[in-house]
Amino acid sequence: MKEQSKFAPLFFVGPHIILFLVFILIPSIYGIYASFTKWNLVGNPEWVGLDNYKTILTNSDSTFYSQFFNGMQNTFIFVGLSVPLMIVIPLLIAVAMEHKEVKFTSLFQTLIYIPGLVSISAAALIWSLIFNAQLGVVNNLFGSEVVWSTTQPYAWLIIIIITIWAGIGGNMIIYRAGINGVSKDLYEAAEIDGAGPIRKFFNVTLPAIKFPLIYTMVMTTAGAFNVFAQPLMMTEGGPRQSTTVLMMYIRDLAFSHGESIAGMASAMAVLLGIVILIISAIQYYIMNRNATT
Amino acid sequence: MRKRLMFMLVLLTVLLAACSGDDENKIQFWTPLTGDDGAYMDKLVEEYNATEPEIEVNHVITSDMYTKMYTVLNSGNGIPDLSIIHADRIASFVEQGLLEPMTDIMEAQPNLNADNYIPQAWTAGEVDGTQYTIPLDIHGSAMYYNEDLMKKYGVEHWLDDDVVTFDEMLSLQGQLEEGDYVLNDALIGWVVLAQLQNLGGDIQEDGKPVIDTPEMREAFQAIKDLSDAGIMTPYGEDGYLMFQSGNVMFSTDGTWSSTGHAQVEDLNFGVTNIYSFEPSIFHNRSSAHLFAMLTKEERTDEKEAGIADFLEFIRENSIEWAEAGQIVASVDVIESPEYENYMQSFFTSNQAEEESLYIYTYEHYPYVAEAIDTYVGDLIHGEIDMDEGFADMQRFVEDKVDEGALDMENTELLDEDELEEELSDE
Repeated sequence: MKEQSKFAPLFFVGPHIILFLVFILIPSIYGIYASFTKWNLVGNPEWVGLDNYKTILTNSDSTFYSQFFNGMQNTFIFVGLSVPLMIVIPLLIAVAMEHKEVKFTSLFQTLIYIPGLVSISAAALIWSLIFNAQLGVVNNLFGSEVVWSTTQPYAWLIIIIITIWAGIGGNMIIYRAGINGVSKDLYEAAEIDGAGPIRKFFNVTLPAIKFPLIYTMVMTTAGAFNVFAQPLMMTEGGPRQSTTVLMMYIRDLAFSHGESIAGMASAMAVLLGIVILIISAIQYYIMNRNATT
Repeated sequence: MRKRLMFMLVLLTVLLAACSGDDENKIQFWTPLTGDDGAYMDKLVEEYNATEPEIEVNHVITSDMYTKMYTVLNSGNGIPDLSIIHADRIASFVEQGLLEPMTDIMEAQPNLNADNYIPQAWTAGEVDGTQYTIPLDIHGSAMYYNEDLMKKYGVEHWLDDDVVTFDEMLSLQGQLEEGDYVLNDALIGWVVLAQLQNLGGDIQEDGKPVIDTPEMREAFQAIKDLSDAGIMTPYGEDGYLMFQSGNVMFSTDGTWSSTGHAQVEDLNFGVTNIYSFEPSIFHNRSSAHLFAMLTKEERTDEKEAGIADFLEFIRENSIEWAEAGQIVASVDVIESPEYENYMQSFFTSNQAEEESLYIYTYEHYPYVAEAIDTYVGDLIHGEIDMDEGFADMQRFVEDKVDEGALDMENTELLDEDELEEELSDE
């Protein structure tokens, strides 16, 4: 009996621990190790210490230096543009759906959620046709001559549009769940005190859904740093590599046509990981501080 | 990303290890042939298996084949018996010791020899006098023309010598109706590489990759002139689609596109060579699908005999492969009257055409091609200044070669390890 109870917890956490070890922890450690080596994925990794990091961070004559900083800059642009919209737009929709006179809310919710289920490559193909300069709906409708994918700022615009189209559904559902949990008494009390809709939103709704709000912010930010498919499919990183995000450089280094440069790619991936870690930590800190006060 | 990549690697290893019970009775045959190509190959394999050979072939299409190859080579588990790889990989694969010579296979089936294949396809698999591959096809750049548009502008005579020149195309500058273009910029990186051959240039000098050469600059500039003249489809527009919609006279895409173009209603088109500077010198940058055997200890003699039988079957019966739009490498097939029905037979219709098919086999070609593809659009459409672009491309290739290439020290290290393994096995 005693034996059994000692091992019982292991059976519950075991599967997760094994999956975590095999698919996350060991690969991560190996990836960090690879970042200190010169490796072509086939031969034995050759230990080079901090050389990869030194090249990426300090050697301004190197292609890898310019790739890393250009990629990082573009990734930050994407995060800066997309994350606020991915928070604000779903929030507005969620609040709007709470209005008493809005009908068919579940239908709208489904319609907004479905794009997130479509494969991003398929979606990107459709959107690139919509924005096609010759055949596309957008240019014909607005009589515009712009070639979206090769002209800035339009290249960023189409990337952001497809990202929002595909991404707002998930956050919206979380907000709707949060708003539904807010007691109606609070709204009634606010109304009695003479609060208008805007006042109610800022003083009742927002504080009440603070936790889901911060949770989505952390998750959306981390996800946005890993952006890859949208720029690859919509602009191929152009024009002038101004939409080539870091993940695209990393992939090209490790898995392009030539011999793999996996060590350098791993070093870039580790640096990206560190950036995500720091930003998540800051957000987490803010969340904790807010939760305790 | 790192997590995801490693996740994939580990997952693959586990899956492949699990399913690589190494079926003794099947030749595991990996190809990167997705889409229609894969279906045609499936058909060929099915036909071969229907002949009831001693060992059947199991065709596995892997979209991310090269990555998976690295994984199985690393783990030593689930290495395929036979695979199709691209011509531009051969030099680097041989250098890394990843390929086994075809010597035994060629002994088992004497018809698998240089005389029975297009020379360019055969020699693409030869490194230092050793034959590492048996060719399936050559595929590469081709230029499609819109017959109706050529008639409209009265330029059908351009095709008389089978080569459209820069000057001919430029003569239409300012004479096009709005929305019409002389050419598009599809697969433009390959067109650049063809022009480089036309100008007598190369991508290496004493084994070192070179991009910033006078010939390469001239090639880029000449194509930029076409764009500047307003006769090329604008940057970022889908020139391939615009050709299919009938607004572009010439489309410089691939031999395999003929099947796609043929599906477009009312598109009267034909195929010719990639444009050149003068009719007497022309090239079509090409690649080839080549059968190769990855280094694998436990490939039995019986299996090797089976592979030889299969390759001989393909040599005799690959007319099916012409359906996919590829230039079949087997001489028997391309000399058969049936093959003439296929558009791509144009490229083997005479000696000069065959010689125009240029396959780059330089070890670091993939890096050079990657650099060109990354910068070509911005350069020819005037987004980047030429000097800046060429400096960047040259640096791009040099840095990648420095990092990516195994140095001798490391290679020796590898050999020692292998030796140790072998000793411990015994």
